[in-house]
Amino acid sequence: MTSFRLKIVTPDGLFFDGQAEKVRVRTIDGDVCILARHLDYATALGMGKASITIDGKVRHAACIGGMLSVTGGEVNLVATTFEWADEIDTQRAQRSKEEAEMKLSKQNRLDKQQIMLAQARLKRALVRLNATE
Amino acid sequence: MAGASMKDIKLRIKSVESTMQITKAMELVASSKLRGAKLRVERSRPYFEVLYQTLADIAYSTQDFDSPYIRRREVKRTCYVVIAGDRGLAGGYNANLFKAAAAHMQGKNVCVLPLGKKAVEYYERRGIELLSKDFAEVAEVDVGSCFEIAKLLSQAFLKGEFDELYLVYTNFVSMLTQTPTVLGMLPLEYNAEAEKTGKRKLRLYEPGPEAVFDAIVPEYLAGMVWGGVSESVASELGARRTAMDAASKNAGEMIDDLSLRYNRARQGAITQEITEIVAGAEQ
Repeated sequence: MTSFRLKIVTPDGLFFDGQAEKVRVRTIDGDVCILARHLDYATALGMGKASITIDGKVRHAACIGGMLSVTGGEVNLVATTFEWADEIDTQRAQRSKEEAEMKLSKQNRLDKQQIMLAQARLKRALVRLNATE
Repeated sequence: MAGASMKDIKLRIKSVESTMQITKAMELVASSKLRGAKLRVERSRPYFEVLYQTLADIAYSTQDFDSPYIRRREVKRTCYVVIAGDRGLAGGYNANLFKAAAAHMQGKNVCVLPLGKKAVEYYERRGIELLSKDFAEVAEVDVGSCFEIAKLLSQAFLKGEFDELYLVYTNFVSMLTQTPTVLGMLPLEYNAEAEKTGKRKLRLYEPGPEAVFDAIVPEYLAGMVWGGVSESVASELGARRTAMDAASKNAGEMIDDLSLRYNRARQGAITQEITEIVAGAEQ
């Protein structure tokens, strides 16, 4: 398969810089898949599982927030957080999910800000767990 | 007379010695922290650069839609995000930054979002309006708080509280060089040079340019602020290390000089005593 240059950067550093064949990510508008020779493109990322095909092997990751752009055949994935599935601490994500659920079950005792925080936490945990599956 | 002077010199040597101990300790602390900060800068730099480049590309190649983030409007008020240090004793680090900021602010109606205790103090003293004082400790600013800052800034920008946004930070060039930098953040600038070539590439936006921009711009601001914070923290430590190194060296020189004077005074006192004894014996 034809490959293209892919760069994945987050505030924590450059995660990947090299040739890839396929990038599938969750955007704010649903999943998209980018192949080589895509036209110039820009979209904002949502929260979800990302699958990246490198040398015929698929690697999964949890990818939250940021943007994806294609410029002259080069793909830049600028994410807020990006974690390869094999580096995710499943137990921690599971715990985080349970704690957030506990909190949300007592919703009437929380203010708006706290509910939002707990919901965001639950979402992140779910994305992480989903990516490791 | 000589005795009193001997005592004075000895006291002075002691005080310089204890100062030197402090400056040496501060230098060591700064250089060990600098290692971590340098790593952070190196890791955040690709993000900073790719983000800036991509946004500039997009802003340049897309003028067929209207976004408040791109539109230039009459500038009534300018906002500056100023990232300074929490502490002094870092040579000209804070002073240089404020000087660069002041030169840029000249003649403008400004408000400031200060990061770092020194920046809060400085702008408070000058009676300049502060957007928020929640981020006074630059050492405690993390990615999460950068997103809070970005949210605050983009909301205020959309509400029209200010019409231009600049980031003032210190660029960490190397261990020895740090340069204060003023960077335009909003409205997004497009590359005027590329426009001259006349090639304007078309770009597909999903779901649409406005939606993409609304989602990306706060992200972009957060990324820029985070990059600025990483650079500035490393610069502060670098500046402090250099300043403390110079201070320790000066202290060493002073001690050498003072010991010489102390020995001279001691010798003078002994000679005088002998002369007095000899004179007494002769009588």
